[in-house]
Amino acid sequence: MNPFWKSLALVLVAAFLVGLLARPVEEPAWQWVREQEPALQLESLEDLLGQGIIVGVMGGFRSIFANLLWIRGSEYWKEQDLPGMQTMIRLVTAIDPRPSFFWMNGARITSLDMPHWRIREQGGRQNVPEVVQERIFEEQNLAGIEILHRAMVYHPNNPQYPLEIGLIKARRMDDLEGALKYYRKASEMPNAPAYAARVYAQLLRRLGRDQEAYEWLAGIYPTLDPDNIYDRAEVMLRRIRELEEDLNIPPEERIPELARDSARK
Amino acid sequence: MNSLRIIRLIAGNTFLEAVRQKLFLFLVFIAAAFIVSSFYFRDLDFGFSELKFISDFGFGAIVFFGSILSIAGAAQLFFNEIENRTALTILAKPVRRIEFILGKFTGVWAVVLAFTAMMTLLLMAILWYREGILMGMERFARDFPEGRKVLYGDILWVGFLQWLKFGILISITMIVAGFARTNLFTVVISFFILIICHLQYLARDAWAEIAFWPARMGVAVMGFAFPNFQVFNVGEYVALYEPLPWSVIGSLVGLSAIYIIVYNLLAVVSFRSREI
Repeated sequence: MNPFWKSLALVLVAAFLVGLLARPVEEPAWQWVREQEPALQLESLEDLLGQGIIVGVMGGFRSIFANLLWIRGSEYWKEQDLPGMQTMIRLVTAIDPRPSFFWMNGARITSLDMPHWRIREQGGRQNVPEVVQERIFEEQNLAGIEILHRAMVYHPNNPQYPLEIGLIKARRMDDLEGALKYYRKASEMPNAPAYAARVYAQLLRRLGRDQEAYEWLAGIYPTLDPDNIYDRAEVMLRRIRELEEDLNIPPEERIPELARDSARK
Repeated sequence: MNSLRIIRLIAGNTFLEAVRQKLFLFLVFIAAAFIVSSFYFRDLDFGFSELKFISDFGFGAIVFFGSILSIAGAAQLFFNEIENRTALTILAKPVRRIEFILGKFTGVWAVVLAFTAMMTLLLMAILWYREGILMGMERFARDFPEGRKVLYGDILWVGFLQWLKFGILISITMIVAGFARTNLFTVVISFFILIICHLQYLARDAWAEIAFWPARMGVAVMGFAFPNFQVFNVGEYVALYEPLPWSVIGSLVGLSAIYIIVYNLLAVVSFRSREI
């Protein structure tokens, strides 16, 4: 065999073997890196490829590239350029999926602004039949939700995204059952804002499931801190009292009010 | 002359030759300009805190320009010896090919160390300066309840780990250079390998799910034959004030040592097959 090919074969075999043997040494570091970056756990090969190349080649520059592209995207937004804006949202979130800003604004532009751009393009609200307008709104709401679903892969513990999906479903799609699922998901996340649980209960009430809403709030209320203004314990207690009235709960079985620190002292 | 002395002499000459080259000075200047400019770009950031943005940008410059320096520097210094026929003179003396390769590697790695150290220190200085300003501003004061937040010690570790990664990259470039006929070919192939090393983890994830066994074997070979450079991507988390665990540092140091030693030996094998 030619020495060149012999050496090449030897190098390839040795590289493979060293890769195999080095794997246990690499494992602790790799585990840590994967835990830190949910992007590395993606299922979508397309996004992974983008991520891999971007992280590998651009490294820390991806922040600045994404930011500059977003500024360029604001031009598309101003011009109501639908394909341009869609491409820009996809590109920016692929380049840097870490900031929530791109995902949230991308989803909002898609579901709130783009339907109006499409209707205007087709002749305006006066000329486009109602049924077509409804279909456009439906499509854009679903497209916005799809963006938020992709964001949740990168940010599995951020309650902002399920809350936003819940909002779209409840307010814009009139799908209270669908919204319920996302508000519940958000309220069970570690950093969930207290209002997520309250809105979940309100949706249950709107669906006529008062008993369920009461049990939910009764379970959440004792975990709140009455001295924390963000918990808004008094608002939740008010809702609980309303439900106790509606459900005719006897006074002795009602949820007791939480004592404030100042009152305890 | 013993081997260590020969290696040291070749490394010293390689280092001097490299730092006198325009490429090194140019990359130092550009990378430093990038790191300093992060200070002015910070208003363009929509996603993170200012300090995170500056460190992200700084590590980006170190990784990007450090990779260029490692590949282009190693290839250029290797082919300079071949094209100027100085390799013939050196190897005609009692200098073995392993000593030549290790000397070249050490010289280039030392140049990259100088580059990485300068850029890491520059980044730390900028972060220190800006953090001091932010701490003095009333609206940011509550973000620093316990004093400085940036993990400067860990930033140094990240710089060191990047330097180890560059060591692996230089070794890979030396293997390619041993087989290649031209500098350009070496640079292009090494850059492709760099990209593969960053994407290698995809092959690792995919191979278990592929049912067609020849394809599965091919992907497995890809996954094992190239080092995983994604694992060195720890700077982004340190920039988010996440301390770097000792187990991670130990793992990366061990991993780099294995790859650098084995790849340098493989570079000797590839260089042996070469006619000078």
